[in-house]
Amino acid sequence: MKGSRVSNAWKYVLALIIIAVHFVPIYMVVAIAFKSPYDHSSRWAFPGYLYLKNIYTALERGGMLLALKNTVIISGMSILFIVVIGAMAAYPLARNKSRLNNLVKGFIMGVMMIPPLSILVPLYSFMAKIQGINSYWGMIVTLITFQLPTSIFLFSSFITSIPVALEEAAAIDGCGPFQTFFRIIMPQLKPVTASVIIITGVNCWNNYQFALYLLQSPRIKTITLAIAGFFSADSANVNGAAAAAFIGILPMVAVFLFLQKYFIQGMVDSAIK
Amino acid sequence: MKIQKKSVINLFYIPAVILFLVFVIYPFIQGIRLSFTNWNGYSQTMKFVGIKNYTRLFQDANVKTALVNTLIYGVMSTVIQNILGLGYALFLNTKFKGRSIVRTIIYMPVMIAPLIMGYIMYFFFQYDGGAVNDILIALHMEPVDLLVHSGTAIRIIVLVNSLQFVGVAMVIYLAGLQNVPTMYYEAAMIDGATFWERFKHITIPLLMPAISSSTILNLIGGLKLFDLVMALTSGGPGFSTHSLSTLVTNQYFSAQSAGYASAIGIFTFLLIMIISNVVMGYFDKKEVDV
Amino acid sequence: MKKLALASLAGLIAISVIGCSKAPQEPVETTTATETVKETETKKDAVASTGVTIEFLYNLNGESVSDAIQDVCKQFTEETGIGVEAVMPGSNFSDIMKTRMASNQLPDAWTTHGWAVARYAEYLSPLNDFEFASHISPSIKEQITDGEGNLYTLPIDMDLTGMIYNENVLEEAGVNVDDIKTWADFEAACEKIKAAGLTPIQLGGKDSYTMGNMMDFVAPTLITNEDEANQAALLDGSFDWSKWNTVVNQIDSWRQKGYFNTDAVTADFMTGIKALAADKAAFMFTAASGITETYVQNQDTKMGFMPLPAREEGLKQSLMTGEHFAVGMSKTTKHPEEVKQFMEFLAREDISSYLATKCGMPSGLDNVISDTGRLAPYYDKYANDSSILNIPYFDRKYLPSGMWNDLCVTGAAIVSGQADSLTVAVDQMKTSYEEKKAQE
Repeated sequence: MKGSRVSNAWKYVLALIIIAVHFVPIYMVVAIAFKSPYDHSSRWAFPGYLYLKNIYTALERGGMLLALKNTVIISGMSILFIVVIGAMAAYPLARNKSRLNNLVKGFIMGVMMIPPLSILVPLYSFMAKIQGINSYWGMIVTLITFQLPTSIFLFSSFITSIPVALEEAAAIDGCGPFQTFFRIIMPQLKPVTASVIIITGVNCWNNYQFALYLLQSPRIKTITLAIAGFFSADSANVNGAAAAAFIGILPMVAVFLFLQKYFIQGMVDSAIK
Repeated sequence: MKIQKKSVINLFYIPAVILFLVFVIYPFIQGIRLSFTNWNGYSQTMKFVGIKNYTRLFQDANVKTALVNTLIYGVMSTVIQNILGLGYALFLNTKFKGRSIVRTIIYMPVMIAPLIMGYIMYFFFQYDGGAVNDILIALHMEPVDLLVHSGTAIRIIVLVNSLQFVGVAMVIYLAGLQNVPTMYYEAAMIDGATFWERFKHITIPLLMPAISSSTILNLIGGLKLFDLVMALTSGGPGFSTHSLSTLVTNQYFSAQSAGYASAIGIFTFLLIMIISNVVMGYFDKKEVDV
Repeated sequence: MKKLALASLAGLIAISVIGCSKAPQEPVETTTATETVKETETKKDAVASTGVTIEFLYNLNGESVSDAIQDVCKQFTEETGIGVEAVMPGSNFSDIMKTRMASNQLPDAWTTHGWAVARYAEYLSPLNDFEFASHISPSIKEQITDGEGNLYTLPIDMDLTGMIYNENVLEEAGVNVDDIKTWADFEAACEKIKAAGLTPIQLGGKDSYTMGNMMDFVAPTLITNEDEANQAALLDGSFDWSKWNTVVNQIDSWRQKGYFNTDAVTADFMTGIKALAADKAAFMFTAASGITETYVQNQDTKMGFMPLPAREEGLKQSLMTGEHFAVGMSKTTKHPEEVKQFMEFLAREDISSYLATKCGMPSGLDNVISDTGRLAPYYDKYANDSSILNIPYFDRKYLPSGMWNDLCVTGAAIVSGQADSLTVAVDQMKTSYEEKKAQE
């Protein structure tokens, strides 16, 4: 590319159009969140005054702080196990391509395709039997299970691209398979781990369908439940709802900005075998 | 020695497989059992009705509508996300200042829960005070009720879903483009190849793995579409915008036909599996050809 | 840093193009949520905790009612030392209850929202031994008692439902509600309202229950009121569903005449409430609690409710009665004694009266007085008027459980004017009815 200023102008125009299109939903959330409920101006208009009452309503009435804490615990623990169990499961699938393992891989892809709703009631009954309703661990285990296929998928593609030489050397030095995995493989997985955290983390953070049924007690509700409660049919407080949504999105955006450098790199090495 | 060691590492996937068996497969089998009953979804009693739910499924006009909608949601979203995602990736792969901001903003909506996105978009498209109608009114045009016609509503759902998740496709293609060596292009430029020729003969073949990943991920996501439909139209008017997933909830809870709903759920699973496998098979063959 | 500055500059430019809104005047809040309950409280020292917490699920939305319930539960804990976890799961309440019934994991107490007998009886403990059982208001007693005389729920208040209307709009259009005796009168009123440039009937089809309400409110007036043959036929399964055509035709004729709001199919319930509050629409098919909601939006409007018109002259108008805030207790609770105390506490005169007043509904117990506030004149006007039929909700009484969905869906299809929607609607009702009847 010649990179002259004139020939780049179209890029900035195009970039601005793209930003405008994709930023609209977030703009709308922010504009509504900081607007008084009695402000009947267009949804496009930005509030020309500082108004924090909705944020306060979301935090107080909506219990967003408690919900944030719960969501951080649930998502954090889930992500930890999704990464560890996922990486472990991916290792043999990437390195030992036997017929059995191909079958296992197909089975895991199949799990990805089951619509969560078709198993909701049996899963709920089972969870109730083992006392998993309204508990952190019940929700965490469910999230882990449903996010694992994605994690395994990403990790196994990535591990395939790592040369085997190091592992062979380790084997010659007398390392067992467990040592090899934790000492040799794990440290190399950093970039793809960022991708796994972002992709599955977003899904854990935003999960609604399972949370709705497994977490009914208000002391354990997550932010998506809290936000949805604001939006629910009879609630008139659109502004409080937007404020809650705003609070719920912020931490995700922060994590993304922090990890995005690794994220793209991880995708380079994993999604593309 | 070697063989033994290879199978030893298979132990590593045991925890994952146990989780799947206990929390997915066991309930799923229960779901299959329910699909042969007339259970209403809450009573302690139910009757075995054989394959009646499945025969009903193939005659039900609402299932047909939901099936067609599901295919539209799945296929159209995949097409739009891939074309637009590839376009964005090609654009952002060129050098200009601020491209990381553009990339971040395209990816940002992915982080909003689809249900919440649906509610936000309802503010956008609603008749009374909706953002789109505000523009129309400002331009002295008649406001329109966009979600009332199932055709328009379906298009809107596809569009919202595609624009929200185009970031995923974009990232996959951006990643894919990093693996395309620039020397191929340089050689092609020397040979006088046009942009289109370079795109067709170098970019596309080398991006095949990315296209495959992106297509499969988006297709499964689109075929399972649920939250967005619930938030925007709740499947209405009538049954006209239901996807199979939302129809399952409707039949399970509202219509109190849990047995029938389970049958639709199993049908949906089989449909997604068959489509995904056909598509995956196609890409596998394609990659071998390349 | 430079990038950030650039981005924010672009943002500022964009906002200045779109424009900013000015800070609006906000109404001053006059009441605080807890004052009433504090007055009735006889200040006792809090009792030591018993370590038992019972779970209570309720489905009453609206900030003031929800706050009142939470306050009452707190007071119960203070007096008895028994904890109450009171949960309002939102619009998914009945889905959640179905899941919990399916897995036999019921809360200790829950609101039965009209289904105490038909849906929940299998899981509820009969309440006949409670003292309040002898005080149940006669107009609701039959609906919450099964064939063997078991009482299943405590009616803290009850619905008395017709159509709600905006008095200012009717006045502007020159309509007097007292002149509306039949649906023909009603349509004449709608014409006047339409001529005045206002919306005669407001619907919010995105919340599909608004469609269900309309069907459920119109159907009894055309089918079952003062027609014992139809009543019996619906109950024993021999109903001739071609008669349902009168219902769908009536609704379709309203659509053709343009009585509904333009966005009838896609608007939500709150949009409707706001339209009535803003004096833009006249009628809405919803319970009287809808009036309370409009007053939240606009205190200065003037709302009322009226009985449902009759199908022809000489027949009676009707009002529907049913459960609104009614609480049942689980048969399988692990803490039967504690839940009993809770039920007795809810039925206590001061508590029950406080809750019914907050809901703005008449009490379901004959020894309790509810202050229905601005609605009081309407209750006084209609409650004891013998020329008005008191009927149960149509679907709860005459349709098998699970057909509410069919009312909602077919209603929406008719209002959206889909091709064949009328025949499809009748067919769907017939098929679903036969299937569910066979299952009973």
